[in-house]
Amino acid sequence: MKKILLTTALLVAAWGASAQRFLAKETYIRFFSSTPVEDIEATTNTAVSVWDKATGEVAFQVNIKSFTFEKALMQEHFNENYLHSDKYPKATFKGKLTDASAVNWDKDGAYTAQLKGTMNIHGVDKVITVPVTVVIKDKTPSISSKFKVKCVDYNIEIPTLVLAKIAEEIEVTVKAKFDLMKS
Amino acid sequence: MAHRFFALLLVALALPSFAQDDLMNLLDAAQGPVKKSPVAATFKGTRIVNLQTNELPASGVGQLIISHRFGTIVERPLYNFGGLDVAQMRLEYSYSPAHWLNVGLGRSSANKTYDAFAKVRFVRQKEEGMPVSVVYYHSTNLNTTDFNDGVPQRYFTDRLAYAHQLILARKHSDALSLELAPTVVHYNLVATPADPNDQYGFGLGGRYKLTDRMALTAEYFARFHRPAGFYDPLSMGLDLETGGHVFQFHISNARFMNDPSWMMQTPGSWGKGELYFGFNLSRVFTHRAPKMAKEIDVL
Repeated sequence: MKKILLTTALLVAAWGASAQRFLAKETYIRFFSSTPVEDIEATTNTAVSVWDKATGEVAFQVNIKSFTFEKALMQEHFNENYLHSDKYPKATFKGKLTDASAVNWDKDGAYTAQLKGTMNIHGVDKVITVPVTVVIKDKTPSISSKFKVKCVDYNIEIPTLVLAKIAEEIEVTVKAKFDLMKS
Repeated sequence: MAHRFFALLLVALALPSFAQDDLMNLLDAAQGPVKKSPVAATFKGTRIVNLQTNELPASGVGQLIISHRFGTIVERPLYNFGGLDVAQMRLEYSYSPAHWLNVGLGRSSANKTYDAFAKVRFVRQKEEGMPVSVVYYHSTNLNTTDFNDGVPQRYFTDRLAYAHQLILARKHSDALSLELAPTVVHYNLVATPADPNDQYGFGLGGRYKLTDRMALTAEYFARFHRPAGFYDPLSMGLDLETGGHVFQFHISNARFMNDPSWMMQTPGSWGKGELYFGFNLSRVFTHRAPKMAKEIDVL
């Protein structure tokens, strides 16, 4: 009896410890703001993301200063006047698929699902749900998502003077190709 | 026995949740230490008023500056509409072929002066470590007014004057930036034998941000050679940033804008109320866009 209990406990422990995690070191993120006056685009591929298969949790993190704009001055203003990246250097997201069974890890293919979690931009937390496409290949996932964020939700102030040039809703594209982490 | 089992089970159950809290730490680790980025936007413009700042337009970017200095505020203010009827102007265009180099050309009304200038960035202030930014600035100035001093033989080189300046700037906080600029101006031709060809001075300047897009600025230029009739220029201004433009409005006793004139030969005096309204308007143009991050293919 003692042995069985001990073994059970160890097995549970082992299950937790061997949790498979996937890391995407070069996660691509793009901001796109479109107005009749001007389209503004910013990209980075130095964001990182992790997917813990055991807990089902997916997390993303990006350094705000890593975004490149077509115009250098926009980049400066983005950091200095809008995102205040000295104060809030990172944006993060942490969440789970709303329905874990939407993705079959054992079968190659593309799955559509919903990812729900907490987005943190400009120091403001907000719970959001975004549509994602998960591609499983050889039991390894890739993820891509396109969704909109409202500047006002994250206390990002757009002065009336440039309202015509900067959209109130910014389209965000995220793409991550994961690799199994070796522990 | 059962206690031990539950203890172990608790540990086991705690493990995955540990892992969960770890997730963000794991991302921090994966991203590596954040590169100590250089401090950006010490000043909003490449000049405070007349004094150069440590800022250069970004690599691949050109900048047009249109500057006006109006007539004195106190001299027949109604007749001259506060000086707006009599304007001095300066046009300049510069380009940064690299992030550390900016070269440009300018034309100022005072002495019908053409100038060519260069700014070279040596050191950038870092968030941790390097406490200041260091920039070298040079201008070569060509006075193209008619010689009418009666001297029969004048040479082209007599028209030239050069300014060399080292700019040491520091962004103390989000709001406050200060700079110090030791300067020497060399005149090939000076007005009197008492005037040295090399004249030394240093600029002091600063800005205080009121909001993200508005700042108060001030600059002062102290001269070591102090002939009668000329005063140290002192200017105070307001910077307004509107996307691609920076508007700088100011009041100054300096009305001239080319370096040899405004630095060492400012005839206006604050004491006598010889002050001028002025503005600089800058606009940047991207000639060569930075490389965008490559989109990865996930399908």
